[in-house]
Amino acid sequence: MRLLLTAGFFLFTVTSSTHGADSFSTLIQPLFAKNCTGCHGENDKVKGKVNLLEIESLSQLSGHTELLEELVDVIEYEEMPPEDEPQLTKRERGDLLAELESLLHKSINAKKVYPQAPMRRMTRFQYSNAVEDLFDLKVTVFTLPEEMLREIKPYFDPASGVMPQKAGVGCRPLGKSQLIQPRLGRVAAFPQDLRAEHGFDNRGDHLSLSPLLMESFLKLSRSIFDSPDFQAKNCGKWQEWFADPGTGDLEAELRRRISEILYSAFRSEVDEVTIDRYTELALAKAEAGLPFTDTIKLVGAAALASPRFLYLYDGANSDDMSESASDYELASRLSFFLWGSIPDRELLELAASGNLSEPEELRMQAERLLNDKKLKRFCDSFPSQWLQLDRLVSSQPDPDEHPEFYFAKFRVSMHMMLEPLLLFETVLIENRPLIELIDPDFSFRSDLLKSWYATGKRGKSTPPTMIVYDRVPITDRREGGVITNAAVMTMTSNATRTQPITRGAWIGAVVFNDPPEPPPGDVPALTEEPGHGEENMTLRERLDAHRERKDCKGCHAQIDPLGFAMENYGPTGLWRDSYENGRKVDSEGVLFRKYPFNTPVEFKDAILAEKERFVSGFAGHLLSFALGRELAPADSLAIDGALDNCRDSDFPFRDIIKEIVVSESFRYKSNFPEPSALAKAP
Amino acid sequence: MIKATSRRSFLRGLGGSTLSLPWLESLAEPAAAPMQRFALFYVPIGVVRRGFFPGEGEGIIPKFRGGNGVPLEKPQTLTAGTHEWNLTATQKPLAGLKDKMTFLSGLDRTYLHGTDVHAQCASCFLSSATPTSVKDSPYPLDRTLDHLVADSMGGSTPFRTLEFSCNSHRDNKESIQFDNVSWYGTGHVAPSIRDPRKAYQRLFGAGEAKTYLNITDLVLEDAKAMQRNLGYRDREKFGEYFDSIRTIEEQISKLEKMRSELAKVDIEEPPESHLPRGEYIRLMGDLMVAALQAGLTQVATFMVGPERWDTPFTYDSLFDKPMSHHKMSHNQGKFINELLQLDRFHMEQFAYLAEKMDNIQESDGSSLLDNTLFTYGSGLGDGSTHQYSDLPIIVAGSGGGKFQTGKHVHFSQGTPLANLWLTQAQAMGSEMNRFADSTGVLKQTFA
Repeated sequence: MRLLLTAGFFLFTVTSSTHGADSFSTLIQPLFAKNCTGCHGENDKVKGKVNLLEIESLSQLSGHTELLEELVDVIEYEEMPPEDEPQLTKRERGDLLAELESLLHKSINAKKVYPQAPMRRMTRFQYSNAVEDLFDLKVTVFTLPEEMLREIKPYFDPASGVMPQKAGVGCRPLGKSQLIQPRLGRVAAFPQDLRAEHGFDNRGDHLSLSPLLMESFLKLSRSIFDSPDFQAKNCGKWQEWFADPGTGDLEAELRRRISEILYSAFRSEVDEVTIDRYTELALAKAEAGLPFTDTIKLVGAAALASPRFLYLYDGANSDDMSESASDYELASRLSFFLWGSIPDRELLELAASGNLSEPEELRMQAERLLNDKKLKRFCDSFPSQWLQLDRLVSSQPDPDEHPEFYFAKFRVSMHMMLEPLLLFETVLIENRPLIELIDPDFSFRSDLLKSWYATGKRGKSTPPTMIVYDRVPITDRREGGVITNAAVMTMTSNATRTQPITRGAWIGAVVFNDPPEPPPGDVPALTEEPGHGEENMTLRERLDAHRERKDCKGCHAQIDPLGFAMENYGPTGLWRDSYENGRKVDSEGVLFRKYPFNTPVEFKDAILAEKERFVSGFAGHLLSFALGRELAPADSLAIDGALDNCRDSDFPFRDIIKEIVVSESFRYKSNFPEPSALAKAP
Repeated sequence: MIKATSRRSFLRGLGGSTLSLPWLESLAEPAAAPMQRFALFYVPIGVVRRGFFPGEGEGIIPKFRGGNGVPLEKPQTLTAGTHEWNLTATQKPLAGLKDKMTFLSGLDRTYLHGTDVHAQCASCFLSSATPTSVKDSPYPLDRTLDHLVADSMGGSTPFRTLEFSCNSHRDNKESIQFDNVSWYGTGHVAPSIRDPRKAYQRLFGAGEAKTYLNITDLVLEDAKAMQRNLGYRDREKFGEYFDSIRTIEEQISKLEKMRSELAKVDIEEPPESHLPRGEYIRLMGDLMVAALQAGLTQVATFMVGPERWDTPFTYDSLFDKPMSHHKMSHNQGKFINELLQLDRFHMEQFAYLAEKMDNIQESDGSSLLDNTLFTYGSGLGDGSTHQYSDLPIIVAGSGGGKFQTGKHVHFSQGTPLANLWLTQAQAMGSEMNRFADSTGVLKQTFA
């Protein structure tokens, strides 16, 4: 994620003359030639696929919005030129940055086109929620292992604005008993959706349909209504839609109910032709002897297999410029973002009246959705993917070295996994500043976890059906937050040791929303056991010795310090001062070439000093999740706006969400009717 | 070798003569030649070279190398051309069938920088598009060979293609690129069935699918109305919905025609219980072979396991605790014996399926295997070096006499794997004269 953090200073004008002496020839090109093109263009060296020799004029540079964004980023954050190369003077850097920012803003505004969010089928998670809400079911449709943090004793009440002192929860991977929920029996679920590389599982470009999957959907929609549990006591809409009215005009009754069902399922107005079509089929079946309730079930099965239910999509724009999404489209965007499901009555009614697209109304609705218990679905999908917690499921520290990690059929990691998730829910429910995700003064811990952090032992084991987490104060800043917790430290280690580079890459991708490129070429590996002559080295020394290639250093200079900062946390998240060979752990480093640190706490201080980099990265994750697509330069305006409006209150979580919802990125669409030159950008 | 006695009773008879033919009669003229089949057996994470390749038995054990796989220095004893095929240690399970197979070495693919090295292994194995031809994805991934072959075969079978995967992982660790070898096109995956019960129900189920027909008419009308209001990119993507519904409708009507004969199949529904890994693979394989035999499809792909996916598996009889193929592959020095066992284990499964196909007699007296091109292959030439060159490839069957079998052909460095795919596509009747980055056909394999 590359962002503009210094909006507002681009009134700076460039002197240009008719003789072609513009800022490119007087400022930019000379600096490129002096400090950049040696690695980015000359002699076929094109590091990071950036070739600055190809840029020959101001207008050409202005046309490359993404390149401009990248340049602003590396110049502002002093990532370029690399440390061991000649540097720009402070003045040069300032002038260049101001000019590039000005160009970037002009470039974005000249063709403000947001990327298209491709139409996409629902994920399994969304499908299940949508069916539950559509028919107001009192049981789940099918079991969702996606839910990692399961509410056993109700604690999740966002309207209260307070997270209780205790949470009685379950954890999916803890055991099979955790899967038993009241649900519709004999329903044939379809497989869980795999995630996109560097993306969330709702990413439009990878949610496609195939005959196999469509067959599953057809079968699934049928099996939902065939389930013996789909009946009056489990279905809030039974009386209204399914119960046999006994008397009256059959066709009129069918038509009335069908209109309502389709309106809710398709979350938009449904034309008469469509209603006729469904009514005709239903009437034919009913007249042929199919009982009334079964007839409505057939309609329900068809509605659930219709593309108007299955797909999230926006209608075409009127021309090749980005334009406002319709009210109904906004209703779905909002509900799928925060509830992972279809809009409710109130949202649809507001959409029908045309008021939803008013930013103030949208903000109020976001607030309403944030106060609803269905917000739990957001907490069941966003944070675990953002933090990549699935990786913990397959973490298996060496049982000989870590015998305490395993007990009965269980692992300590399953207690660990819920700690950052409960922190996340608390910061959200209590609308706390986002930075508390990094450096909070509280956490939630089970007895087992308390014992684990204190002694490295499990203490007495807890029955796995429900685990109670207590809200505990964090007084030692080495602990707490989404980085320095046992879950993340364990899942970024392998069976026998910590992996600083993996941790660094995780921090880069998750905390700063800047995932490193995959390693180039043949990177030499570190053997598990220290080699000959390496017995007395620290891990950092061993890694340095193995990193022979100069061209690896560029990236690693950025990734590695992030990971080494965490070296005091062993492979199961426990604090250590020294390695087994007696050498002291060395976690020294510099963040963003500005903030030296010697300990993890000082590393946290450095993040605090650059708080907005974390907050803007996080807002980028949220926006990408909300829109189901990758972000582009135009989206940085949304993030900048959210930051600007929440800076005074220190970026509270819910406020950031509301700002995102009212941003243009969220409200606009780019579904161009025909291919065109403009539509291809950015 | 596989202990045939451990097979479950419900599988008995599937490959036997009792099921040899009758069901094809509804599809083909009695005197017509048997249809050709195409199948892939994909092995993830490469192989151990010293066990698989002739002349490398005493080769050095390679060190791990990440990234894009710079190939191992290869002993230059093997010259390009046709050689006598002496089975290496890993190939030993093929002893009984060598005469009906071809061993191909020296074929290469191109890795396109920009994604993880494993992510392209399986996902691009059957496409290897030229780097410039795919613009909107970092993967050199285009419509895969199995679908192109199915396109040219004309689709007389109920299923155009079938996709199987023996991925029993329960975590959601990897993205779709790691679990799929078959793609309709860039970014459009043809998902595989992992569950034998679901595969069984799809192929031999009671025909409940036809109850969907009145629904499909209705929703197709919805789709048509909806399409008019979409942007141009979505209109393109939305084709997947129409394709899916039409495919299902055709499938239902073709299956209905075969229904009475399929009912004669003596195959029980697989149990819900967890199966040891070998049994699981063979059960899925049996279902694939049955589908090919019965004319339910002519084209199938089979992944014996997903690419990378670190979570350990239990390999029943092989190891006393769950092991991760991928993790071991990074440390050949330590796990060479386990890896060799695993390579051999996968080869045994391939041999089992090929043998099964060879025991099935078709209308003209030839065997199912004779009429099939059944390819064993992996996307890496070595799991430790991650090289995309000198891949392990064995083709079983001759596709109805198109391939000359029983020999080892070695190709000179730089011969694209796509040349084999082009050769196979042509042998299956396709008129294409270029596939992905191919430079020509492999004449040495012609009969």
